[in-house]
Amino acid sequence: MTSVPNSAMAAPRGGAARRDRARNTRHRGALAWYLIAGACVSAVFVVPLAWEVLRSLQPESAVTNAPSAQSFSHLGFGNYQALLSGQDDIIRNVVNSLIVAVITALVTALVALLAGYGFALFRFRGSGVAFALVLLSFMVPFQAVLTPLFVEMHYLHLLNSLIGLGLFYTAFNLPFGVYVMRNSFLQVPRDLLDAARVDGATVMRTLVFVLRPLVLPGIATTALYAFLFSWTEFLAALIFLTNDGLFTLPVALINVESGNYGAVNYGLLLSGAVIAMIPCIVVYVSLQRFYVRGLVSGALKG
Amino acid sequence: MAKTEVTSSTPATEAAETRRPRRAAPMPSHVRRDARTGMLLVSPALLIVSVFTLFPLAFGVYISLTNWPLVGSYQFIGFANYTSLIHNTLFLQSIVFTLKYTAIVTLPILIVGYALALLVRANRPGATVFRTLVFLPFIVGLTTESYMAVVELQPTSGTANFVLARFGIVKDTTAWLVHTGLAVTAVCTLVVWFAAGLTMMLLMAGMQSIPQELYESARVDGASWWSTERSITIPLLRRAIVLSLIISVVGSFLAFNQFYIMTQGGPGTSTTPVVLSIVNTGFSSFNIGLASAMSVVLIIVVGLISFAQFHFLQRGDR
Repeated sequence: MTSVPNSAMAAPRGGAARRDRARNTRHRGALAWYLIAGACVSAVFVVPLAWEVLRSLQPESAVTNAPSAQSFSHLGFGNYQALLSGQDDIIRNVVNSLIVAVITALVTALVALLAGYGFALFRFRGSGVAFALVLLSFMVPFQAVLTPLFVEMHYLHLLNSLIGLGLFYTAFNLPFGVYVMRNSFLQVPRDLLDAARVDGATVMRTLVFVLRPLVLPGIATTALYAFLFSWTEFLAALIFLTNDGLFTLPVALINVESGNYGAVNYGLLLSGAVIAMIPCIVVYVSLQRFYVRGLVSGALKG
Repeated sequence: MAKTEVTSSTPATEAAETRRPRRAAPMPSHVRRDARTGMLLVSPALLIVSVFTLFPLAFGVYISLTNWPLVGSYQFIGFANYTSLIHNTLFLQSIVFTLKYTAIVTLPILIVGYALALLVRANRPGATVFRTLVFLPFIVGLTTESYMAVVELQPTSGTANFVLARFGIVKDTTAWLVHTGLAVTAVCTLVVWFAAGLTMMLLMAGMQSIPQELYESARVDGASWWSTERSITIPLLRRAIVLSLIISVVGSFLAFNQFYIMTQGGPGTSTTPVVLSIVNTGFSSFNIGLASAMSVVLIIVVGLISFAQFHFLQRGDR
């Protein structure tokens, strides 16, 4: 194997075919090493997650005893059945999480779409200041305004409300969404806008019929970020929801962890965590080109 | 106060940049003059952001000057909340702990993220798949993973002890989450594993925007791998490195979930980060005024950190 690259370098100009073959072999060797290294590194990040899926299928007694080979001989959905039925009733919390995540994704996408349109393609007094305000709110960490928010949401009757929580999540996701949507509209070819105007299309008709296909990737990016943020958010949900029946899944798992429903049951906790994990992975893997687009646009802006 | 200076500088300059050419040149025909529609389009976004971010910011400063309880009337007490913070050992302790925690995790996240970016930046078969897999822990989120870690860090039954005991590193009865040092080790390891994927993505985006010709000419000159990295990649990657540092440092400063779930701030209060001490003050002791004063301090500290790092970034650019 090591002799091949040497002969490739020594090959005279005439022996093009031989040189190519040698280079291919060398190339393939390097590629094999690359794939092995990449697989090992990836395993460090994926195997723990996959392992937890496997563990969640063990009976509860196996989760709380020393691991052994036999403990994997009775895999089943016992933990899931126990978690999704009976007094824990985690289905309600999963539904709450879904409601909040869908509200957040839809409202963020819609509001960011309109704002991006306005900021990119309209001139009006104060537009610079307004855009600066939206970006400014990007820099305010919500963890540091929880107490005033709590008091304010109390007065607005938005505590213990899934809609209230969704609106709060929307506010947190809007700056990034507006930034992404504004860039999407700025990239629209101006000929298209001129043509729409000459045809006499109204502002909304232009948006819906002319611009929509061009800014759809931006909308997908915005909605995806908002959905994943909402689905995994913990602190604000913990503070703004005090009624067990309204808890989102991450908050409800605190009760499972501390054994509020009787004895601590780590089998239930693991299966609950896996239920929280699966939608993230499915949504991300199927829509990841939109996710990476958002990261790259954020990163290159600096 | 410092916070407003910090944050207004960048958006303002950006807004000025976008405005200037339009004013100088006649307005391009595709930009609509319809001012009312434009305002109407951006108003929902402005309303939501104002209600849930900008107003609470100002309101928090107001509350911090009062003895606001959760229920009942309140009085202005001037800066009493702030002066009492100087003697508030729990708060000061939580700041010191947060600084230590940030100091521990920042460099490993950057180094591991950089190494991962080197792996996935190549335009080779498999690179996209590796990138997706390495990024999964970040997508799944620290909250879910903290719950899993709680189960796996249990003495005698957890996988962590099972594996580590095989290598003779710890005893299989080690109770990770009830000793300060072990608990911090466990949380930090989890966080580096969780956050390295994000740094990888940000650095990879930066690496891919470096022109390939630079590497080709370096290769022609016979430069070694390390000198190519040092003289081409790292200097041109400075923006991405600083951005990922800002994100990870600010993120560490605002840490909450992993400690709340894995250690509840304990043993005692030895692993209580700033946000947890704010939450305890505001929502367990119901001292909203004091908690707001703590929040204002936190905002200023986070703002100063961002400012320092932005400053570093801008100075480097000139």
